[in-house]
Amino acid sequence: MRSTHASKLTGAALLVLLSGTGCSDPLADPLPHGNASEAAPVRGGTLRLGNFGDIRTLDPAASSDQLGDEAVQLLFSGLVDFDAKGAVFTDLAEKIDRSEDGLAYTFTLRTGVRFHDGDELTADDVKRSVERSLHPDSPNPVGSFFENIAGVIEYTQRKSEHISGVTVDGRYVVTFHLLRSDATFLPLLALHALRPVCKSGGDRYSDSWAPCGTGPFKLLPGGWDRGRSLTLVRHDAYFKPDMPRLDAVTFLYNVNIVTERFKFESGEIDAIRDLTQADTVRFLADPRWKALGAYEPAREIHGESMNTEMAPFDNVEVRRAVAAAIDRDHLRLLRAANVIVSAHPVPPDVPGFNANVPTQTYDYQAALEHMKRAGYPYDPKTGEGGYPHRISYTAYKQGFSEFAAQAVQQDLAKIGIRIDIKIVSFATYLSTTHRRHVSAISPQGWSQDYPDASDFYESLFLSRSINEEDTGNTSFYKNPELDDLLDKAHHELDPQKRQASYDHAEAILRDDAPWAFTHSYRWFDVHQPYVHGLAPHATWVWDIQNTWLDRATAAISRRSVISEVSFGSLFTTREKSDR
Amino acid sequence: MLGAALVLFLVAFAWLAPLLSSHDPMISDFTNGVRPDTGTPVGPSSAFWFGADRIFRDEFVRLAFGARLSLLIGVSATAIASALGAAVGIVAGYNEGRSGFVIPWPLPIALAGGLALAVGGHSTLAIVGSLFGIVISVVAIKSQIRFLTAGVDMNFDIALMRLVDIGLSFPFLLLVMAVGSAVDRTSVGSILLVLGLTGWLGTARLVRAKTMQIRSRDFILAARGLGAGTTRILFRHILPNIAGPLIVVSTVSVAQMILAESVLSYLGVGISPPTPTWGHMLFEGQDYYAAAPWLVIAPGVAILIAVFGFNLLGEGLRDALDPRE
Amino acid sequence: MKYFLGRFAWAMFVVWSVVSITFFVESVLPSDPARMVAGAQARPADVDRIRTQLGLDRPVWTRYAIFMRRLVHLAPRANANEDPKTHAGCVSLGVLHFDLGRSYEQRRPVATILGERLPRTVALALCAVFVQLTIGLFSGVIAALRKGRALDTTVVAASLLGVSAPTFVLGLILQFVFGHKLRWLPLDGFGSTFAEHAKSVVLPALTLGIFGAAYYTRLIRDEMIVLMQEDYVRTARAKGAGTFRIVLVHALRNALMPLATVVALDLGALVGGAIVTESLFRWPGLGALSVTALVDRDGPVVMGTVIVTSCAIVLANLIADAAYFTLDPRIRKT
Repeated sequence: MRSTHASKLTGAALLVLLSGTGCSDPLADPLPHGNASEAAPVRGGTLRLGNFGDIRTLDPAASSDQLGDEAVQLLFSGLVDFDAKGAVFTDLAEKIDRSEDGLAYTFTLRTGVRFHDGDELTADDVKRSVERSLHPDSPNPVGSFFENIAGVIEYTQRKSEHISGVTVDGRYVVTFHLLRSDATFLPLLALHALRPVCKSGGDRYSDSWAPCGTGPFKLLPGGWDRGRSLTLVRHDAYFKPDMPRLDAVTFLYNVNIVTERFKFESGEIDAIRDLTQADTVRFLADPRWKALGAYEPAREIHGESMNTEMAPFDNVEVRRAVAAAIDRDHLRLLRAANVIVSAHPVPPDVPGFNANVPTQTYDYQAALEHMKRAGYPYDPKTGEGGYPHRISYTAYKQGFSEFAAQAVQQDLAKIGIRIDIKIVSFATYLSTTHRRHVSAISPQGWSQDYPDASDFYESLFLSRSINEEDTGNTSFYKNPELDDLLDKAHHELDPQKRQASYDHAEAILRDDAPWAFTHSYRWFDVHQPYVHGLAPHATWVWDIQNTWLDRATAAISRRSVISEVSFGSLFTTREKSDR
Repeated sequence: MLGAALVLFLVAFAWLAPLLSSHDPMISDFTNGVRPDTGTPVGPSSAFWFGADRIFRDEFVRLAFGARLSLLIGVSATAIASALGAAVGIVAGYNEGRSGFVIPWPLPIALAGGLALAVGGHSTLAIVGSLFGIVISVVAIKSQIRFLTAGVDMNFDIALMRLVDIGLSFPFLLLVMAVGSAVDRTSVGSILLVLGLTGWLGTARLVRAKTMQIRSRDFILAARGLGAGTTRILFRHILPNIAGPLIVVSTVSVAQMILAESVLSYLGVGISPPTPTWGHMLFEGQDYYAAAPWLVIAPGVAILIAVFGFNLLGEGLRDALDPRE
Repeated sequence: MKYFLGRFAWAMFVVWSVVSITFFVESVLPSDPARMVAGAQARPADVDRIRTQLGLDRPVWTRYAIFMRRLVHLAPRANANEDPKTHAGCVSLGVLHFDLGRSYEQRRPVATILGERLPRTVALALCAVFVQLTIGLFSGVIAALRKGRALDTTVVAASLLGVSAPTFVLGLILQFVFGHKLRWLPLDGFGSTFAEHAKSVVLPALTLGIFGAAYYTRLIRDEMIVLMQEDYVRTARAKGAGTFRIVLVHALRNALMPLATVVALDLGALVGGAIVTESLFRWPGLGALSVTALVDRDGPVVMGTVIVTSCAIVLANLIADAAYFTLDPRIRKT
């Protein structure tokens, strides 16, 4: 008897606690802002941003992830850079001259650009930094992107001491010579990897080097508390006058996504992007907040990659059946606030996307018809027929992949393809699905390395991208016609002819269906009203360079007493940075 | 009694509840399961008694199906762990301090030296050295030379407890990931194995400590004086006396096993979807607790009932087993 | 003395076994550390280059030999003509040097990383055990003294609630109530002054403590109930000793032994095991580190955390053994 009472008691307590935390938690009001007008931006202040993930390095020669690249591009300016829409503009370079044949790009540097240590940027620094980044001893994860620069292959094979294709033609003039004309050269150069580094960086990569470049922000000693936070402060000698407007930027890392929202509401961070679907819906539905939010560009594609070397997907009719069987709207409903149905090989916000090319679509009857033609007729009424063997399907552990796998499993069961989902860690997923003859069908995605269609087509569908291990072409799809089209497009400098090639390539991929293209994913960002100019950026996460703050003068919150910008530890108190 | 009733209730729920509902635990309802305004799962209603889950399946039916697996895993893994732990703990504790087989000291020294040499790159020397050590040890045992036979006294206690030490210091996650990737497909069997084989270590230490405490009690000494054999002492006298704490640990362990399964699936080595388990359902619902609290409450309360049930059951069992009553 | 020397030798053996087994298990996992360093979309050529740079193209035996040789080695001799960088990441203890290698992901010495994290983790573990013990002892004793009454039931029920609420639910609730709604305590993090550290440790320690205390409560309650029926306690009671004195001097003293085992185990386990809690509250400790390292397949860091945690557990065991000797006279054998 006693125990009944006790269990009721605790059960009730649990319910109260859970419902207390759940239902009665309205979003806080946006925090107050000052009265500055858009025309007269305010100088000063620290922008604080939270992140679910973490960064590993701040060296342009070693960075390889979105969060790290974002910090790197604030520390290091490049000859060219991407604007918020993804277009390339001249940054450290004053002008670019392309030779007639498209094989030589001559960059004339701005004069008087200063590194964080006070040195002036010269053409020698540009060449030295390129060689530092592409040296075979450097851990550069994107080194092979630059093999079209003359002499890089010899350099990485240690056959030459210098890269012959990068020449210094004056104190402020540097020329890049290419092997073939290349529409992707400028976008690749606009990435972080080859950006000029201070003389302290030397001509070889070193783990112990303290990052130092020409970017709008610099890193002070102790500014990076590994795994927790990074604080970058204004570079006063930055070459653009009156820029940047912020005194400092602080990134918090490894923040739990629910905590991140709490921090945002209390004003501990000024903007948020890692929202759960449930929170995204709430911010979108709230008139106080809706106008303060924006979608990031959709820069990734997702789909089911079918291995064209393994049964039953060596049969094009089965692949077409799968492409027609997946109801993409179901996938969208799994995370309606973030997923957009898009069965194109290029995400909607990447140059080269063409909404007018017809795509694979959900058509159940057609899918059954394809199965019949493939020799595996399936009768939906009796549930008999279809492909006779069960197929292993490897997805990885992380919310959406796991949920999408279960929706796909249901759709495929309806045409007689029965898959067994195997959820593994991301590392295991990568190595198993990227190995030849291992995985018949797997969920795959690709997010832009640089904003251009070529990145998607070439990484995923070129026959040259097939490899025994670490293959990019997970379908092991070989089509000489497609290879030709993609190569032609890569070296074509005329945008319209290029687009025509890609449209043609897309039509081939749609019908041959090495992938069932399904959806694209985009994040929703919200910021506090006092944050101006913090728009989502096409390549880097945020457009921080143009951000400024206009906080109300009164104290914002009690919470700001605990500063997260902390460089101490429990037992030793190191000197704080001079910020 | 109430404990047994609660456990019976859960078992009945697991097998009978699906009969009450027309929903299939594996099939999503993308039309009725979705709230049209927000796109989030619908809450509890007459169609979906406990609401819909993240993939718009019926939470009630999944809870029942999850009960089957979760109860099976919780109880079986605990049974494996407790049996192993009790056996090892009693044997070790009873043998603590007794002398066993003496390993002559040259053997470990030679083997350790051999390994060090091998690591240092002198493989020939390493093999010669280890062989030499083995030969000396064999000679030592045969010839009973006192100087050489002194060494490590290896009894059940030391052997078992070092095994436990190794097991406890071993990173659980790594072990689980290794087993998970070794048995290609994660099945109920492999989960049971992982949980059972990692769960007994703590129990063993506890039981050992209790056994050591009890074995020097008067009644054990008396039993031994009366000529009772070791087996009889272990089973008739020591086991009943450690049954109390053992059952307490076990009943709590059922709940922890159910939760441990959810951690496994969080790490990507649990039971693969769409098969439901309570722990996994709890985890799936976790970051939705604001928008769809029923996704946390339903499996949470289910686990709570199970914990209470088994706990009360355990208490009843202990009272029945207690030699002093 | 000889006994403890023997124990120490065994402890070394245990640590060596754990380290070796971990090394080999870690190397057979079907995933590629170089791939994780290079990134999910890296091209094969870049992954290959990074693999060679990390020395992962060599066979596992060679890597094991290199690892062990580097793990414990002698300090460079004064006149040796060696690159000073060779010993940059070493921890030295007299002439012995311990080198745990460099992290693949963070590209700096593992010893440095562990040096940052270990004190913070130990601090959290101590606080958590303190909470567990306080709650456990208090409620366990009360429940035992009021066996069968309402208070006992409530305590037992509450402890069950604690044990069936996993740390990710409990932590979220505490964070929500005290960090978000009431704003008494920081949501997460570590702070930079001692006062801030102290504030920041409360919620994670409570989370771990409440979760663990359930077990302690039950253990102490049941031990106490048994012990209170023992003859010598009854005798003491008959002689008119007060409840307080009986609990403190007789019963609790005996309950301390199993408790010491559990505390030692817990401390050892908490040094490496507070994964969910450390991640939720962004407590910069070893638990969070070991999981990230495992997920990213950062071998040297995995090995480093395993070495530290296995040493911690083994050490805790040694201490527990020593505690037996002092706490329970009956254990002392000639």
